[in-house]
Amino acid sequence: MSAVPSTPRRPAHETTTPAATPQTTRVGTTHIIQSSPHYQTTRRHSLYGTEDRIILDPGSRVWKVGFSGEGKPRDVFLAEPETGKSLWSLNRASKPADREEEDRVLEAKLQACLRSVFHNSLLTDPKSRKVILVEHPLLPLHIKEMIARVLFNNLQVPSISFASSHLLALLAAGRITGLVIDCGHLETTVLPVFSFRPLYPHLRTTPLAGARLSIHIKALLLMFGTYIPPATSLSAAVNIPAASRSVRVPQDVLTDKVIDEIKTRLCFVGDPIDDESQLMSGGRVSSPSGGEEGSELDLPPSDPAMSESEFSRVSAAEVESLASSAAYSVVSHSQLAGMGSESDAASLGGERRVQALATMYGRHSTATDIHMRVDPPPSQQTGTGRGTLIIPGWVRERAAEVLFEGGDVDENSVAEVILECLLKVPVDLRKTLASTILVVGGTPMLPGFIPRLQAELVRAVSRTSSSQSSPSPPSRPGHPSRRPPPGTASGYDRYAPLRPLLPYFAILNNPAPPPPASAPAAANAGKAPAFTPAAMAWVGGSLAGALKTGGFEVQREKWDEAEAGAVVTGVQPDDEDVLMGAEDSPPRPRPGAASATPRSILPDWTRTPLPAGAPPAPRPPGSTAGAQGPVFASSSLHTQSVAG
Amino acid sequence: MAPKIEYYCPCLAESPHPPPPHLPSSSYSFHPLHNLFFCEECDAVRCNRCVLLEVSGYYCPNCLFEVPSASVRAEKNRCARNCFMCPNCRNTLTVVPSDPPDNGDMRTSAVVTTALGEPPFFLYCNHCRWDSAEVDITFEKPTGLAAQLQKFEDSAPESLEFERLKEHFEPFLRASSSSALPSATPAHHVHANPITAAASSALARDIPGVGKYNPLARSRIGRDKHAHRHELPDYKARVEIASAAALSGEADVEFLKHLESIEEVASLEQRWTNSWATSLRESDLKPLRIPLQSKKSKRCPSCRHILIKPEQKAQSVRFKIKLVAANYLPAIAVTLPHAQAALEMMKRSSTLGKSTSAAAAAEEQQAAGALIPGHSYPFHLAFTNPLYDPIQIRLAKAVPQGEIVDAEKARRSTFHIQLPSAAFPVAAYAEAWEYDDDEEDMFGLDDDGMEVDARGKKSKDGRGKSRSVGIVERRANVTVVSGEVLIPKDARGEVKFNMLVSYTYRSDDPETVDDAEAGTPSRSQATSRAPEMKNFSFYTVVDLGTIAHREETRLSVEP
Repeated sequence: MSAVPSTPRRPAHETTTPAATPQTTRVGTTHIIQSSPHYQTTRRHSLYGTEDRIILDPGSRVWKVGFSGEGKPRDVFLAEPETGKSLWSLNRASKPADREEEDRVLEAKLQACLRSVFHNSLLTDPKSRKVILVEHPLLPLHIKEMIARVLFNNLQVPSISFASSHLLALLAAGRITGLVIDCGHLETTVLPVFSFRPLYPHLRTTPLAGARLSIHIKALLLMFGTYIPPATSLSAAVNIPAASRSVRVPQDVLTDKVIDEIKTRLCFVGDPIDDESQLMSGGRVSSPSGGEEGSELDLPPSDPAMSESEFSRVSAAEVESLASSAAYSVVSHSQLAGMGSESDAASLGGERRVQALATMYGRHSTATDIHMRVDPPPSQQTGTGRGTLIIPGWVRERAAEVLFEGGDVDENSVAEVILECLLKVPVDLRKTLASTILVVGGTPMLPGFIPRLQAELVRAVSRTSSSQSSPSPPSRPGHPSRRPPPGTASGYDRYAPLRPLLPYFAILNNPAPPPPASAPAAANAGKAPAFTPAAMAWVGGSLAGALKTGGFEVQREKWDEAEAGAVVTGVQPDDEDVLMGAEDSPPRPRPGAASATPRSILPDWTRTPLPAGAPPAPRPPGSTAGAQGPVFASSSLHTQSVAG
Repeated sequence: MAPKIEYYCPCLAESPHPPPPHLPSSSYSFHPLHNLFFCEECDAVRCNRCVLLEVSGYYCPNCLFEVPSASVRAEKNRCARNCFMCPNCRNTLTVVPSDPPDNGDMRTSAVVTTALGEPPFFLYCNHCRWDSAEVDITFEKPTGLAAQLQKFEDSAPESLEFERLKEHFEPFLRASSSSALPSATPAHHVHANPITAAASSALARDIPGVGKYNPLARSRIGRDKHAHRHELPDYKARVEIASAAALSGEADVEFLKHLESIEEVASLEQRWTNSWATSLRESDLKPLRIPLQSKKSKRCPSCRHILIKPEQKAQSVRFKIKLVAANYLPAIAVTLPHAQAALEMMKRSSTLGKSTSAAAAAEEQQAAGALIPGHSYPFHLAFTNPLYDPIQIRLAKAVPQGEIVDAEKARRSTFHIQLPSAAFPVAAYAEAWEYDDDEEDMFGLDDDGMEVDARGKKSKDGRGKSRSVGIVERRANVTVVSGEVLIPKDARGEVKFNMLVSYTYRSDDPETVDDAEAGTPSRSQATSRAPEMKNFSFYTVVDLGTIAHREETRLSVEP
């Protein structure tokens, strides 16, 4: 890429020879063209040096865009401003026809986003701008292809560089080695990076991330929130006390926008509750026969927060039955799934458990309740003005608990996924990586998230040791009979190999680091520059662009060539399909002309063949087949979506 | 919902035929006529999704100052003059002087002070009463505010930190990139750092594939980079996040814990372009400089001819070149006469009788215009000819593509569309005074079409079927034809269908017939030469509305 650092791709003679495609044989002659003064003068619109690139950080929900060499993105926007939903999800439609349709919709949306980036946000000519794409390591390949297709074909950018978001975030922290955890909207991904090298095979992921938090907030508010509809008349507003008007929260009130606002403006992450055993017995134990829990249930709410949501307490069961199973994520999915057969008793137990949780959290929380003005649901728009949504303080403080609740083999907590990753990396790197953890992404923007993560890391590693003597499995004090977790048999100590690392855990961008217990921790904790976690990947991209590097670069000539080749061979799509099928098992989703895009052009670490003769990675001690299961399951899910 | 019609642009699909309209993706291929362009060279419709855009000038939407290209970059696409936006409500801020010293009577001193007012000046929002003195931004003089603020922006912590990061990595990268080539050479043996030398063998064994795909390392870590590798010292941040914690860390938790109302916290949109840890509080938001806008010229994606070229001046709203599809394609307006009549009746009754609530009226309206299963409804298509020549239009229902699965086919054929099969003429566009008052060839009484009433189905049934499909009205350069939609009993969903409109027009330059590009409908005056007829066709989607649900209309709304 350094050979063609500033290939100006704008044809200088556009108007005179309109039909000519200007980028045919430019590669070899770049320097000549560049040195020509005539060319310089005709480049009217090139306000930015051609070496200034465009940094594109396309998330599933939020996009950040800007120019390289600048300290902050020029524009940040929701990919779907009307709904605020994410462009893609972790699933794809299973039927080929549906999937094809889904892809078409997605491509149209991506096209709209990308065109708006150049024409509305940056006001620049895409034909003269190289692009650095901040690429999430698990960005599905078909989406990457779509983005490349739009950028090359529709916008005609000269080149796209693909750079790993985790690596770029690390650059923004001034490091080249570290364990980067990206807690985004769809999932949380941990990727160790050693000396500029992302160690992709050790990537670990969990679906506990922003989207799950939103669902959880909604479920909590449906149960514990209070809604005061607008008074039907002005006199009623005076005469009838608000308390008697309050009802449980209608689902229509909790639109995605409202939930998002609550999440971004009201929620924070409290410290872990000191008395862990109380949390365990009150919160996590789902057995309805727990005597201690029962007594807790009967206790009158001691916190004003609880009395406020008195009303919704009464109808909690109703709400719960109302809440769809997807929305009902209050503690964990698997627990619910296991209770499917005995749904009545289970829902009763679940309700009590959640109730107990609420009582416990409510008692520990000193956060204030917030009255928030919300639009009444469309079916009840008869009153005067807007309704009021009362959000209990403990919900604001404890909603994020869902991200730190571990013990599920399929859905590791945010702390556990880091530990899982550390278990996977070579032993020699563990100490270094444990003391250079970098937390990036949108969800860590919650105040208190990073200090809490630090506490959870320490707790997860040390808890096992303290409770080793207790008969019940440490991470799951519930009912082992109902959910026999493979690999977590009684006395099994999953993170024992990591215990020596305990003094070394340090988060680079921890705003409130604990007193360091070791020299590496002291040298690293809280030493990152004060960039926000959400912007770090973008800033790193900007830095890479300013340093004239930026990952694997795909030139437009290459793309055009490959596409032309694909069209030629596309005459016999069947043959090609067979070929493709031989190479990699998943069938091509779109056998039409649209799929005639070059596959080999875009970099993709998931398809890199193993070097010949490389022995399989030895499994680090302590990880068993059972514990590997979820990780493989989730990664195979990704490969599937990537491949499809 | 009123029935509507949109025009097809084939840029998203590979085939010239439009996608079936029931697919959600099809909505991206259809556009209202006024959003479309027409390329004369290619003889094709172009849309905003496919045209190439070029910036032809930057201007500030507030002060309409044309910003020279050179300063656009330095100012980060923002107005560099006195234009600021309120951080809360995005209203334009005004510069106001501070109150005069309150030594005397307020009123008299206000009169006495000149138009310039007393320094310090600050920005004030006329809408939400925010003022910049709240965040300690005041100005010595009321002009050149952006320049006065510039020094703050230049010393923004994120840009200083960024420069420092750049300096940190630069020597390391310069040294390595001087010899490194962007070749595909896998950088295998880079672990010569003494610290990691021991780990390297383990790494090489443990991480299959890492040498093959190694995004950033490739350019910077060559074969002989060992010396540079461990020269990279630890980065010392200018502002470490732990020391900036007064802004972000536990202070924020405390602040949120004791929050009284949601308004105290700045919303996500107000904060998310900040890459630097800043305060959450809304009261700390800074005024925003108004983003520039650009005038864009648009080119055809295939032949690169200019379709739109605006005038340079920011104040001007005219175009030097404007090839919009509305000048080439007949405009089509679709109406459902029964819904219109019902609406008319409702208006009359509501003005006579008591006014019901708006919601109820809207509901009534919905019900009146509803397409009830088991009935057939006429619909009117009004074609307006923009050309100076009369045209002949022929309509056809677009044949669905063969690839459609049976299930979908069943869903599609829930309704039957009848369109006039014969070609019909639309008179040429002319200035208003050129039309005769008595259009002699106006047949089909005006009332005929309008009297079709949703309630009076008998009257419609009494009419012959053939009567309702055909030309309804002709006047000036408008011809109204009627089609019919028959909705079976069990139908549901939307009545939406693709319609192929083809029209013949007289080509204006017959001597260049062999030139394929010349056959473009053009608005230029017809010449007296022998008419050369040309044909152009385009696809549209007609959306007549949603089929009403019998259950829904009969039963009351369920809670």
